[in-house]
Amino acid sequence: MVLMRTLKTSEAAAMLNVSPNTLRAWERRFGYPKPQRSAGRHRLYTHGEVVSLRDALQQGLSISSAISRAREALSTDTHALVGALTGFELDRADRAMEAALALRSVERSVEEVLLPGLQELGRRFGTDSATWAFAARWADGWLRRAQRLAPPPARRLAILVGDATGNDLDLDALALRALELFCGRSGACVMALPVTAITCLGEVVESLGPDAVVIAGTRVGDDDVARWAYRVRAAAGPLPVAVFRRGQTGATVRATGTRVLTDAPFGAHRQLLALAEERDSERTRAGAPAVALVEDADVREARA
Amino acid sequence: MRRLRAVRPEGDDGRPEVSFCGHCGAAPAPDAERRSRVCAHCGLGLVLQAAADVAPQPGEPFLVIDSTLSVCAVSARAEELLGVDETDAVNQHIADFLVPADANASRADNLLVLLVEAASSPGEPRTAVVRQRQEFGVRFRARIGSCGPPHAALLVLAG
Repeated sequence: MVLMRTLKTSEAAAMLNVSPNTLRAWERRFGYPKPQRSAGRHRLYTHGEVVSLRDALQQGLSISSAISRAREALSTDTHALVGALTGFELDRADRAMEAALALRSVERSVEEVLLPGLQELGRRFGTDSATWAFAARWADGWLRRAQRLAPPPARRLAILVGDATGNDLDLDALALRALELFCGRSGACVMALPVTAITCLGEVVESLGPDAVVIAGTRVGDDDVARWAYRVRAAAGPLPVAVFRRGQTGATVRATGTRVLTDAPFGAHRQLLALAEERDSERTRAGAPAVALVEDADVREARA
Repeated sequence: MRRLRAVRPEGDDGRPEVSFCGHCGAAPAPDAERRSRVCAHCGLGLVLQAAADVAPQPGEPFLVIDSTLSVCAVSARAEELLGVDETDAVNQHIADFLVPADANASRADNLLVLLVEAASSPGEPRTAVVRQRQEFGVRFRARIGSCGPPHAALLVLAG
Protein backbone atom coordinates (compact mmCIF):
# COMPACT_ATOMS: atom_id res chain seq x y z
CA MET A 1 0.00 0.00 0.00
CA VAL A 2 1.38 3.45 -0.88
CA LEU A 3 2.14 5.55 2.17
CA MET A 4 0.64 9.01 2.26
CA ARG A 5 3.09 11.83 2.73
CA THR A 6 2.05 14.58 5.10
CA LEU A 7 3.38 18.10 5.65
CA LYS A 8 3.43 20.28 8.73
CA THR A 9 1.80 23.72 8.47
CA SER A 10 5.14 25.47 8.01
CA GLU A 11 6.19 23.01 5.29
CA ALA A 12 2.90 23.31 3.44
CA ALA A 13 3.03 27.11 3.72
CA ALA A 14 6.59 27.17 2.36
CA MET A 15 5.59 24.97 -0.55
CA LEU A 16 2.74 27.33 -1.43
CA ASN A 17 4.85 30.41 -0.75
CA VAL A 18 2.39 31.82 1.77
CA SER A 19 2.41 32.35 5.52
CA PRO A 20 1.01 29.71 7.90
CA ASN A 21 -1.69 32.24 8.89
CA THR A 22 -2.80 32.49 5.27
CA LEU A 23 -3.08 28.71 5.09
CA ARG A 24 -5.25 28.69 8.20
CA ALA A 25 -7.36 31.53 6.74
CA TRP A 26 -7.95 29.45 3.60
CA GLU A 27 -9.03 26.52 5.73
CA ARG A 28 -11.59 28.74 7.49
CA ARG A 29 -12.90 30.45 4.35
CA PHE A 30 -12.68 27.74 1.71
CA GLY A 31 -12.38 24.54 3.76
CA TYR A 32 -9.29 23.63 1.73
CA PRO A 33 -6.63 22.37 2.10
CA LYS A 34 -8.26 20.25 4.77
CA PRO A 35 -5.64 19.04 7.25
CA GLN A 36 -5.77 16.02 9.48
CA ARG A 37 -4.56 16.30 13.05
CA SER A 38 -1.54 14.62 14.52
CA ALA A 39 -1.67 12.93 17.93
CA GLY A 40 -0.58 16.30 19.37
CA ARG A 41 -3.46 18.07 17.53
CA HIS A 42 -1.11 19.75 15.05
CA ARG A 43 -2.29 20.21 11.48
CA LEU A 44 -0.97 17.68 8.94
CA TYR A 45 -1.57 18.49 5.27
CA THR A 46 -1.50 15.78 2.65
CA HIS A 47 1.29 16.34 0.15
CA GLY A 48 -0.98 15.62 -2.81
CA GLU A 49 -3.52 18.29 -1.81
CA VAL A 50 -0.82 20.90 -1.38
CA VAL A 51 0.86 20.06 -4.69
CA SER A 52 -2.48 20.08 -6.46
CA LEU A 53 -3.24 23.52 -4.99
CA ARG A 54 0.23 24.88 -5.81
CA ASP A 55 -0.21 23.91 -9.47
CA ALA A 56 -3.72 25.38 -9.57
CA LEU A 57 -2.53 28.65 -7.99
CA GLN A 58 0.06 29.12 -10.73
CA GLN A 59 -2.67 29.03 -13.38
CA GLY A 60 -5.51 30.57 -11.37
CA LEU A 61 -7.13 33.98 -11.28
CA SER A 62 -8.32 33.71 -7.68
CA ILE A 63 -7.82 31.49 -4.67
CA SER A 64 -11.43 30.29 -5.01
CA SER A 65 -11.00 29.20 -8.62
CA ALA A 66 -7.63 27.58 -7.85
CA ILE A 67 -9.17 25.64 -4.97
CA SER A 68 -12.08 24.61 -7.14
CA ARG A 69 -9.61 23.32 -9.73
CA ALA A 70 -7.50 21.52 -7.12
CA ARG A 71 -10.61 19.84 -5.73
CA GLU A 72 -11.60 18.73 -9.22
CA ALA A 73 -8.16 17.20 -9.71
CA LEU A 74 -8.60 15.19 -6.53
CA SER A 75 -12.11 14.02 -7.45
CA THR A 76 -10.67 12.23 -10.49
CA ASP A 77 -9.82 9.30 -8.20
CA THR A 78 -13.53 8.67 -7.61
CA HIS A 79 -14.19 8.81 -11.36
CA ALA A 80 -11.30 6.41 -11.94
CA LEU A 81 -12.69 3.98 -9.35
CA VAL A 82 -16.22 4.16 -10.75
CA GLY A 83 -14.84 3.63 -14.27
CA ALA A 84 -12.82 0.61 -13.17
CA LEU A 85 -15.71 -1.02 -11.33
CA THR A 86 -18.11 -0.32 -14.18
CA GLY A 87 -15.64 -2.06 -16.50
CA PHE A 88 -15.28 -4.98 -14.02
CA GLU A 89 -11.53 -4.40 -13.76
CA LEU A 90 -10.33 -5.36 -10.31
CA ASP A 91 -6.70 -4.36 -10.91
CA ARG A 92 -7.71 -0.92 -12.10
CA ALA A 93 -9.99 -0.48 -9.07
CA ASP A 94 -7.10 -1.42 -6.78
CA ARG A 95 -4.88 1.05 -8.61
CA ALA A 96 -7.47 3.81 -8.23
CA MET A 97 -7.45 3.25 -4.47
CA GLU A 98 -3.63 3.20 -4.45
CA ALA A 99 -3.69 6.56 -6.23
CA ALA A 100 -6.19 7.87 -3.67
CA LEU A 101 -3.98 6.67 -0.83
CA ALA A 102 -1.04 8.54 -2.25
CA LEU A 103 -2.93 11.79 -1.68
CA ARG A 104 -5.06 11.03 1.36
CA SER A 105 -5.18 9.09 4.59
CA VAL A 106 -6.87 5.68 4.61
CA GLU A 107 -9.86 7.25 6.36
CA ARG A 108 -10.30 10.00 3.78
CA SER A 109 -9.67 7.62 0.88
CA VAL A 110 -12.51 5.45 2.12
CA GLU A 111 -14.85 8.37 2.83
CA GLU A 112 -14.02 10.50 -0.19
CA VAL A 113 -13.32 7.89 -2.86
CA LEU A 114 -14.48 4.37 -2.01
CA LEU A 115 -17.88 4.99 -0.43
CA PRO A 116 -18.93 7.84 -2.80
CA GLY A 117 -17.85 5.65 -5.73
CA LEU A 118 -20.02 2.81 -4.47
CA GLN A 119 -22.95 5.17 -3.87
CA GLU A 120 -22.60 6.45 -7.43
CA LEU A 121 -22.71 2.89 -8.79
CA GLY A 122 -25.73 2.08 -6.65
CA ARG A 123 -27.49 5.17 -7.97
CA ARG A 124 -26.54 4.45 -11.55
CA PHE A 125 -27.21 0.70 -11.79
CA GLY A 126 -29.37 -0.09 -8.76
CA THR A 127 -28.36 -2.25 -5.80
CA ASP A 128 -29.92 -5.31 -7.42
CA SER A 129 -27.55 -5.13 -10.40
CA ALA A 130 -24.58 -7.35 -11.15
CA THR A 131 -22.41 -4.24 -11.38
CA TRP A 132 -23.34 -3.27 -7.84
CA ALA A 133 -22.72 -6.83 -6.60
CA PHE A 134 -19.29 -6.88 -8.25
CA ALA A 135 -18.37 -3.45 -6.83
CA ALA A 136 -19.69 -4.17 -3.34
CA ARG A 137 -17.79 -7.49 -3.15
CA TRP A 138 -14.61 -5.76 -4.27
CA ALA A 139 -15.11 -2.95 -1.71
CA ASP A 140 -15.81 -5.45 1.07
CA GLY A 141 -12.62 -7.31 0.19
CA TRP A 142 -10.62 -4.08 0.06
CA LEU A 143 -11.88 -2.93 3.47
CA ARG A 144 -11.16 -6.32 5.06
CA ARG A 145 -7.64 -6.28 3.55
CA ALA A 146 -7.07 -2.81 4.98
CA GLN A 147 -8.35 -4.02 8.36
CA ARG A 148 -5.84 -6.84 8.35
CA LEU A 149 -3.06 -4.34 7.61
CA ALA A 150 -4.10 -2.05 10.48
CA PRO A 151 -1.71 -1.97 13.44
CA PRO A 152 -2.60 -4.16 16.44
CA PRO A 153 -4.76 -2.52 19.15
CA ALA A 154 -2.70 0.02 21.08
CA ARG A 155 -5.38 0.93 23.64
CA ARG A 156 -7.37 -1.10 26.06
CA LEU A 157 -10.59 0.20 24.50
CA ALA A 158 -12.88 -2.51 23.25
CA ILE A 159 -15.99 -2.07 21.16
CA LEU A 160 -18.62 -4.70 20.53
CA VAL A 161 -20.62 -4.32 17.33
CA GLY A 162 -24.01 -5.91 16.88
CA ASP A 163 -24.17 -6.37 13.14
CA ALA A 164 -27.75 -5.93 11.93
CA THR A 165 -26.76 -5.21 8.34
CA GLY A 166 -27.58 -7.47 5.43
CA ASN A 167 -24.98 -9.41 3.48
CA ASP A 168 -21.87 -7.84 1.92
CA LEU A 169 -24.04 -6.27 -0.81
CA ASP A 170 -25.64 -3.92 1.72
CA LEU A 171 -24.14 -0.42 1.64
CA ASP A 172 -24.64 -0.21 5.42
CA ALA A 173 -22.45 -3.31 5.76
CA LEU A 174 -19.68 -1.54 3.85
CA ALA A 175 -20.07 1.54 6.03
CA LEU A 176 -19.82 -0.71 9.08
CA ARG A 177 -16.63 -2.30 7.69
CA ALA A 178 -15.28 1.23 7.31
CA LEU A 179 -16.25 2.09 10.90
CA GLU A 180 -14.51 -1.06 12.16
CA LEU A 181 -11.44 -0.17 10.12
CA PHE A 182 -11.26 3.39 11.47
CA CYS A 183 -11.75 2.26 15.08
CA GLY A 184 -9.11 -0.42 14.61
CA ARG A 185 -6.68 2.10 13.15
CA SER A 186 -7.32 4.35 16.15
CA GLY A 187 -6.05 1.54 18.34
CA ALA A 188 -9.35 0.13 19.63
CA CYS A 189 -10.18 -3.57 19.65
CA VAL A 190 -13.37 -4.10 17.64
CA MET A 191 -15.44 -7.25 17.49
CA ALA A 192 -18.43 -7.46 15.18
CA LEU A 193 -20.97 -10.24 15.67
CA PRO A 194 -24.32 -10.72 13.96
CA VAL A 195 -27.18 -9.79 16.28
CA THR A 196 -28.78 -13.13 15.49
CA ALA A 197 -25.90 -15.00 17.19
CA ILE A 198 -27.11 -15.32 20.78
CA THR A 199 -25.69 -18.62 21.96
CA CYS A 200 -22.48 -18.23 24.00
CA LEU A 201 -22.72 -14.44 23.63
CA GLY A 202 -22.08 -13.97 27.36
CA GLU A 203 -18.73 -15.75 27.11
CA VAL A 204 -17.66 -13.58 24.21
CA VAL A 205 -18.65 -10.41 26.06
CA GLU A 206 -16.81 -11.46 29.21
CA SER A 207 -13.72 -12.21 27.19
CA LEU A 208 -13.79 -8.91 25.27
CA GLY A 209 -14.83 -6.61 28.16
CA PRO A 210 -16.36 -3.97 25.87
CA ASP A 211 -16.37 -0.26 26.74
CA ALA A 212 -19.15 0.50 24.27
CA VAL A 213 -21.68 -1.33 22.16
CA VAL A 214 -22.82 -0.37 18.67
CA ILE A 215 -25.81 -1.74 16.82
CA ALA A 216 -25.52 -1.16 13.10
CA GLY A 217 -27.82 -1.71 10.17
CA THR A 218 -31.51 -1.99 9.49
CA ARG A 219 -31.90 -5.52 8.15
CA VAL A 220 -32.75 -7.15 11.50
CA GLY A 221 -35.90 -6.28 13.42
CA ASP A 222 -36.08 -4.53 16.79
CA ASP A 223 -37.10 -7.70 18.67
CA ASP A 224 -33.96 -9.60 17.68
CA VAL A 225 -31.80 -6.57 18.37
CA ALA A 226 -33.40 -6.09 21.81
CA ARG A 227 -32.80 -9.76 22.64
CA TRP A 228 -29.15 -9.44 21.67
CA ALA A 229 -28.73 -6.20 23.64
CA TYR A 230 -30.34 -7.81 26.69
CA ARG A 231 -27.86 -10.68 26.58
CA VAL A 232 -24.93 -8.26 26.28
CA ARG A 233 -26.17 -6.23 29.22
CA ALA A 234 -26.73 -9.35 31.30
CA ALA A 235 -23.12 -10.35 30.71
CA ALA A 236 -21.34 -6.98 30.90
CA GLY A 237 -23.64 -4.77 32.97
CA PRO A 238 -24.75 -1.32 31.82
CA LEU A 239 -22.66 -0.06 28.89
CA PRO A 240 -22.96 2.95 26.62
CA VAL A 241 -24.91 1.86 23.55
CA ALA A 242 -24.95 3.62 20.20
CA VAL A 243 -26.75 2.93 16.95
CA PHE A 244 -25.16 3.35 13.53
CA ARG A 245 -27.16 3.58 10.31
CA ARG A 246 -30.27 2.14 11.94
CA GLY A 247 -32.63 4.68 10.45
CA GLN A 248 -32.63 6.89 13.54
CA THR A 249 -32.31 10.65 13.49
CA GLY A 250 -31.35 13.13 16.19
CA ALA A 251 -28.59 12.81 18.76
CA THR A 252 -30.26 10.12 20.87
CA VAL A 253 -33.14 7.65 20.63
CA ARG A 254 -35.83 9.31 22.71
CA ALA A 255 -37.21 6.17 24.38
CA THR A 256 -33.92 4.61 25.44
CA GLY A 257 -31.39 7.45 25.44
CA THR A 258 -29.21 5.43 23.06
CA ARG A 259 -26.71 7.61 21.24
CA VAL A 260 -27.25 7.93 17.47
CA LEU A 261 -23.99 8.03 15.53
CA THR A 262 -23.64 10.07 12.38
CA ASP A 263 -23.98 8.14 9.10
CA ALA A 264 -20.45 9.01 7.97
CA PRO A 265 -18.09 6.30 9.28
CA PHE A 266 -15.29 8.72 10.16
CA GLY A 267 -17.53 11.01 12.21
CA ALA A 268 -19.17 7.96 13.79
CA HIS A 269 -15.81 6.50 14.79
CA ARG A 270 -14.87 9.78 16.51
CA GLN A 271 -18.17 9.83 18.42
CA LEU A 272 -17.83 6.19 19.34
CA LEU A 273 -14.29 6.53 20.66
CA ALA A 274 -15.36 9.55 22.70
CA LEU A 275 -18.22 7.49 24.13
CA ALA A 276 -15.94 4.58 24.99
CA GLU A 277 -13.31 6.89 26.48
CA GLU A 278 -15.96 8.62 28.60
CA ARG A 279 -17.06 5.30 30.01
CA ASP A 280 -13.44 4.35 30.53
CA SER A 281 -12.65 7.51 32.50
CA GLU A 282 -15.77 6.93 34.63
CA ARG A 283 -14.50 3.46 35.39
CA THR A 284 -11.08 4.90 36.27
CA ARG A 285 -12.65 7.41 38.66
CA ALA A 286 -14.56 4.53 40.26
CA GLY A 287 -11.26 2.82 41.05
CA ALA A 288 -11.00 0.26 38.29
CA PRO A 289 -7.62 -0.15 36.59
CA ALA A 290 -6.71 2.90 34.54
CA VAL A 291 -6.75 2.62 30.80
CA ALA A 292 -3.48 3.63 29.35
CA LEU A 293 -1.63 2.99 26.20
CA VAL A 294 -0.69 -0.63 26.25
CA GLU A 295 2.74 -1.15 24.98
CA ASP A 296 3.38 -4.21 22.98
CA ALA A 297 5.59 -6.67 24.84
CA ASP A 298 8.03 -6.66 21.95
CA VAL A 299 8.33 -2.87 22.07
CA ARG A 300 8.97 -2.94 25.81
CA GLU A 301 11.59 -5.61 25.36
CA ALA A 302 13.24 -3.65 22.59
CA ARG A 303 13.33 -0.54 24.80
CA ALA A 304 14.79 -2.51 27.69
CA MET B 1 28.62 56.57 -13.49
CA ARG B 2 25.47 55.10 -15.00
CA ARG B 3 22.23 56.45 -13.66
CA LEU B 4 19.32 54.11 -13.24
CA ARG B 5 15.83 55.29 -13.84
CA ALA B 6 12.73 53.61 -12.42
CA VAL B 7 10.42 52.50 -15.20
CA ARG B 8 6.84 51.30 -14.96
CA PRO B 9 6.15 47.84 -16.39
CA GLU B 10 4.33 47.86 -19.70
CA GLY B 11 1.83 45.39 -21.13
CA ASP B 12 1.82 43.84 -24.62
CA ASP B 13 0.24 46.97 -26.03
CA GLY B 14 2.80 49.31 -24.46
CA ARG B 15 0.42 50.77 -21.84
CA PRO B 16 1.76 51.00 -18.27
CA GLU B 17 0.62 48.14 -16.08
CA VAL B 18 -0.08 47.97 -12.38
CA SER B 19 -0.48 45.04 -10.03
CA PHE B 20 -3.37 44.60 -7.63
CA CYS B 21 -4.88 41.91 -5.44
CA GLY B 22 -7.82 40.09 -7.04
CA HIS B 23 -9.67 40.17 -3.71
CA CYS B 24 -8.85 43.31 -1.73
CA GLY B 25 -7.57 45.35 -4.68
CA ALA B 26 -4.47 46.50 -2.79
CA ALA B 27 -1.21 46.97 -4.64
CA PRO B 28 1.37 44.43 -3.49
CA ALA B 29 4.61 45.49 -1.87
CA PRO B 30 7.38 45.35 -4.51
CA ASP B 31 9.30 42.54 -2.83
CA ALA B 32 6.13 40.56 -1.98
CA GLU B 33 5.11 40.66 -5.63
CA ARG B 34 8.24 38.84 -6.66
CA ARG B 35 7.97 36.20 -3.96
CA SER B 36 4.39 35.01 -4.24
CA ARG B 37 1.26 35.37 -6.32
CA VAL B 38 -0.83 35.42 -3.14
CA CYS B 39 -1.66 38.87 -1.75
CA ALA B 40 0.40 39.59 1.35
CA HIS B 41 -2.25 42.03 2.67
CA CYS B 42 -5.35 39.83 2.82
CA GLY B 43 -4.03 36.40 1.82
CA LEU B 44 -7.33 35.75 0.03
CA GLY B 45 -6.54 36.91 -3.50
CA LEU B 46 -3.97 36.41 -6.23
CA VAL B 47 -1.90 39.30 -7.53
CA LEU B 48 -3.03 40.27 -11.03
CA GLN B 49 -1.79 42.80 -13.56
CA ALA B 50 -3.84 45.17 -15.66
CA ALA B 51 -3.32 48.41 -17.60
CA ALA B 52 -3.25 51.37 -15.23
CA ASP B 53 -6.32 52.92 -16.86
CA VAL B 54 -8.36 49.76 -16.26
CA ALA B 55 -7.06 48.53 -12.90
CA PRO B 56 -9.37 49.16 -9.95
CA GLN B 57 -8.76 52.20 -7.78
CA PRO B 58 -8.77 51.62 -4.01
CA GLY B 59 -12.30 50.70 -2.90
CA GLU B 60 -13.67 50.05 -6.40
CA PRO B 61 -15.57 46.76 -6.70
CA PHE B 62 -14.53 44.46 -9.53
CA LEU B 63 -14.92 41.00 -11.00
CA VAL B 64 -12.58 38.87 -13.09
CA ILE B 65 -14.18 36.84 -15.88
CA ASP B 66 -12.58 34.32 -18.25
CA SER B 67 -13.21 33.89 -21.97
CA THR B 68 -16.00 31.37 -21.31
CA LEU B 69 -17.75 34.15 -19.35
CA SER B 70 -17.35 32.29 -16.07
CA VAL B 71 -16.66 34.35 -12.97
CA CYS B 72 -13.12 33.69 -11.72
CA ALA B 73 -12.79 36.25 -8.93
CA VAL B 74 -15.02 38.65 -7.04
CA SER B 75 -13.42 41.40 -4.99
CA ALA B 76 -14.37 41.90 -1.36
CA ARG B 77 -16.15 45.18 -2.25
CA ALA B 78 -18.04 43.49 -5.09
CA GLU B 79 -19.10 40.74 -2.70
CA GLU B 80 -20.65 43.43 -0.47
CA LEU B 81 -22.18 45.34 -3.37
CA LEU B 82 -23.70 42.35 -5.16
CA GLY B 83 -24.45 40.35 -2.03
CA VAL B 84 -22.62 37.22 -3.21
CA ASP B 85 -19.77 35.17 -1.84
CA GLU B 86 -16.82 34.66 -4.12
CA THR B 87 -16.83 30.93 -3.30
CA ASP B 88 -20.43 30.66 -4.58
CA ALA B 89 -19.91 32.92 -7.57
CA VAL B 90 -16.78 31.28 -8.97
CA ASN B 91 -17.46 29.16 -12.11
CA GLN B 92 -20.94 30.70 -12.50
CA HIS B 93 -21.87 32.57 -15.68
CA ILE B 94 -21.45 36.34 -15.39
CA ALA B 95 -25.04 36.78 -16.62
CA ASP B 96 -26.18 35.18 -13.35
CA PHE B 97 -24.97 38.35 -11.62
CA LEU B 98 -24.74 41.23 -14.09
CA VAL B 99 -26.69 42.03 -17.23
CA PRO B 100 -26.55 45.00 -19.61
CA ALA B 101 -28.68 47.82 -18.27
CA ASP B 102 -29.39 49.15 -21.75
CA ALA B 103 -31.46 46.56 -23.61
CA ASN B 104 -31.10 48.43 -26.89
CA ALA B 105 -27.31 48.54 -26.87
CA SER B 106 -25.73 47.75 -30.20
CA ARG B 107 -23.65 44.61 -30.61
CA ALA B 108 -20.38 46.50 -30.22
CA ASP B 109 -21.48 47.64 -26.79
CA ASN B 110 -22.89 44.30 -25.75
CA LEU B 111 -21.54 43.41 -22.34
CA LEU B 112 -20.79 39.79 -23.10
CA VAL B 113 -19.03 40.61 -26.37
CA LEU B 114 -16.88 43.17 -24.59
CA LEU B 115 -15.98 40.66 -21.92
CA VAL B 116 -15.04 37.92 -24.38
CA GLU B 117 -12.90 40.38 -26.36
CA ALA B 118 -11.16 41.64 -23.24
CA ALA B 119 -10.54 38.11 -21.99
CA SER B 120 -9.12 37.04 -25.34
CA SER B 121 -6.71 39.86 -26.11
CA PRO B 122 -5.63 43.13 -24.51
CA GLY B 123 -7.05 46.29 -25.99
CA GLU B 124 -8.33 49.73 -25.14
CA PRO B 125 -10.58 49.87 -22.08
CA ARG B 126 -14.28 49.93 -22.88
CA THR B 127 -17.28 50.95 -20.83
CA ALA B 128 -20.77 49.54 -20.48
CA VAL B 129 -23.75 50.24 -18.29
CA VAL B 130 -24.78 47.23 -16.28
CA ARG B 131 -27.25 46.32 -13.60
CA GLN B 132 -27.57 43.46 -11.20
CA ARG B 133 -29.70 40.58 -12.46
CA GLN B 134 -33.23 40.80 -11.04
CA GLU B 135 -32.49 44.32 -9.71
CA PHE B 136 -33.96 47.24 -11.57
CA GLY B 137 -33.27 50.91 -11.15
CA VAL B 138 -29.68 50.71 -9.93
CA ARG B 139 -27.17 50.99 -12.75
CA PHE B 140 -23.42 50.86 -12.67
CA ARG B 141 -20.96 52.21 -15.18
CA ALA B 142 -18.55 49.35 -15.78
CA ARG B 143 -14.98 49.67 -17.02
CA ILE B 144 -13.88 46.62 -18.96
CA GLY B 145 -10.34 45.67 -19.86
CA SER B 146 -7.87 42.82 -19.76
CA CYS B 147 -6.01 41.43 -16.79
CA GLY B 148 -3.97 38.39 -15.93
CA PRO B 149 -2.05 36.18 -15.94
CA PRO B 150 -3.68 34.10 -17.37
CA HIS B 151 -5.66 36.31 -19.77
CA ALA B 152 -9.07 37.31 -18.42
CA ALA B 153 -11.48 40.22 -18.50
CA LEU B 154 -11.57 42.71 -15.67
CA LEU B 155 -14.90 44.41 -15.00
CA VAL B 156 -14.65 47.34 -12.62
CA LEU B 157 -17.93 48.70 -11.29
CA ALA B 158 -17.80 52.47 -10.86
CA GLY B 159 -20.48 54.91 -9.87
